[in-house]
Amino acid sequence: MNRLTTTLNNLKDNNQKALVAYLVAGDPDLDSTLDLMHLFVESGVDIIEIGVPFTDPIAEGPTIQKAHDRALKNNISLKMIFDLVVEFRKINDQTPIVLMGYLNTFISHIDLVESTSIIDSILVVDIPGELSLKDYGITNPNINTISLISPTTTDNRVELIAKNSTGFIYYVNLRGVTGSSNLNIDEIKNNIQKIKKHSDLPTLAGFGIKSANDAKMLAECSDGVIIGSSIVEMINESSNSKEFARIGEYLKEIKQAIS
Amino acid sequence: MKSNKFNLPDNNGFFGEFGGKFVPETLMYALEELENTYNELKDREDFQKEFYSDLSNFVGRPSPLYFAERLSNHYGSGSIWLKREDLNHTGAHKINNTVGQILLAKHMGKKRIIAETGAGQHGVATATVAARLGLECHIYMGAEDVKRQSLNVYRIKLLGAEVHAVDSGTATLKDALNEALRDWVTNVDDTYYIIGSVTGPHPYPMIVRDFNSVVGQELIHQSKDSFNSMPDAIVACVGGGSNAMGIFYPFIDIPETRLIGVEAGGNGISTGEHAAPLNDGTPGVLHGARSYLMQDESGQIMDTKSVSAGLDYPGVGPEHSWLKDIGRAEYVAVNDDEALKAFHEVTELEGIMPALETAHAFAYLGPLMKELPDTANVVVNVSGRGDKDINTVAEIDGIKF
Repeated sequence: MNRLTTTLNNLKDNNQKALVAYLVAGDPDLDSTLDLMHLFVESGVDIIEIGVPFTDPIAEGPTIQKAHDRALKNNISLKMIFDLVVEFRKINDQTPIVLMGYLNTFISHIDLVESTSIIDSILVVDIPGELSLKDYGITNPNINTISLISPTTTDNRVELIAKNSTGFIYYVNLRGVTGSSNLNIDEIKNNIQKIKKHSDLPTLAGFGIKSANDAKMLAECSDGVIIGSSIVEMINESSNSKEFARIGEYLKEIKQAIS
Repeated sequence: MKSNKFNLPDNNGFFGEFGGKFVPETLMYALEELENTYNELKDREDFQKEFYSDLSNFVGRPSPLYFAERLSNHYGSGSIWLKREDLNHTGAHKINNTVGQILLAKHMGKKRIIAETGAGQHGVATATVAARLGLECHIYMGAEDVKRQSLNVYRIKLLGAEVHAVDSGTATLKDALNEALRDWVTNVDDTYYIIGSVTGPHPYPMIVRDFNSVVGQELIHQSKDSFNSMPDAIVACVGGGSNAMGIFYPFIDIPETRLIGVEAGGNGISTGEHAAPLNDGTPGVLHGARSYLMQDESGQIMDTKSVSAGLDYPGVGPEHSWLKDIGRAEYVAVNDDEALKAFHEVTELEGIMPALETAHAFAYLGPLMKELPDTANVVVNVSGRGDKDINTVAEIDGIKF
């Protein structure tokens, strides 16, 4: 059983909701990313989601797009991200790590993905959810396929996608890119209930969560929340000082709100 | 109907190993909705009638097949014929596709139209059909292209559409496409995205090809009438590849006609500064489809370079990638300086000022006519007119207005 499944099972057994925190590898630099990953865990984060920078991130809003651009200026490659996780694993071998990115960067380094045991899942934003990573040559049994389901996913697709997913199902809260606003809680609640009919996997809610209060509302109808743009924004604000303690406080506040 | 071999894409949107639907989940239902609408309408008599009536009365089709006598004499052997897409309403082949897609938008009840544009021709063509139906229209254009195609930017605004300059990435066509996709993800319920080339996720490469293939269909008849045979070669420029696909497609099953696509060689293929993925790229996934791409070893998309905004794109339509791999079409590249030389040459010899994109196709006539016999009939697809490029050419020639 991999770290992701173990962590999600433990949370469920203890009646706890999952907190997933996102950052972009190499923004502002790899040393900071490593520090931030440890800070995340100290602040109550259950799962770390690492954004793999790509030149054309079509699902990202301006905040995360700019973070991708900053990371690419540092020439961050998937190889460097794997090396970063090796460093992280020297101290932490429990916290699951999900890589989130775009198909082209993963298939360009398929050898890395196929041989890894330090990464627990890959979330590819731009592959149709009814296909699994196997369809793209990713057969590593340690790697979970996390698929996205969105407000526009039709019922028959929900069924297909749920069948193909392992780890957890990522429910996209809104029509839009990362960092958008206007959450429709009723719609989210209905759609997550629909997903639950087709899958026993935990369903986590992401996109558009901007405050502890948003997180609290979403945790009530899901198995956990994914926080991205607001963290990336705070990282950028502290990119010169490298004083990230405020992010730790923010995550603790969210963890508290969803507990 | 094509022979089975060429009757593509398959049900999943693939041309061999190219194409597909690589998009965020939110867009999957929109693509299915579009595909279903298109399949339901495309062969219906009333839809065909409306489309061809618009092509004839609004666009001005058929476009002539014109014998370029002085250009033929200039090369000394063979006959050069011009398929005059530059004479279409709005000045390029782009209008064929937008006239068709706006009918789909109308049938689907969409109230809001978005599009990306490079040279601005597709933006103009989209704003034109949106104005005609009174639909809200937003055009995404790279900030770099907004600068070099200011005339078309103003045309789009005059037509009542809003132009959004895109600053991200390289601020050219690919970034405009990214931003249009982001708009579509956000406004998917009421918005129709008119993609301007045979690129993007399925069903777009198929739909854009089908609407544009009126060019090739006309050419089959015109060739019989004009020189009583099929052309020995058809030459067309390739950025995303919609004008080339439109004129190639009806000829795929006619083996005696060579199909030659001309990519933008920029400063030269060997310099790496170009926009010629079929000549110097590798397969990868961008903007919803698997195709040849300009990418580095990490799968990051590379900057491109071309004097022509409409060809300045790191990818290419998936069907072209497939035609290249099966050997049915040939793809060559022409550098900026050769294209500029051809621009002046055709303007002076024929009184026809081609778009800089089209000038790339003309520039390949030099090497091509040398290898063909004197009896050869060669057709150049004059994809667009060059008025929009006057500022660019003047600047290169050191002229200030």
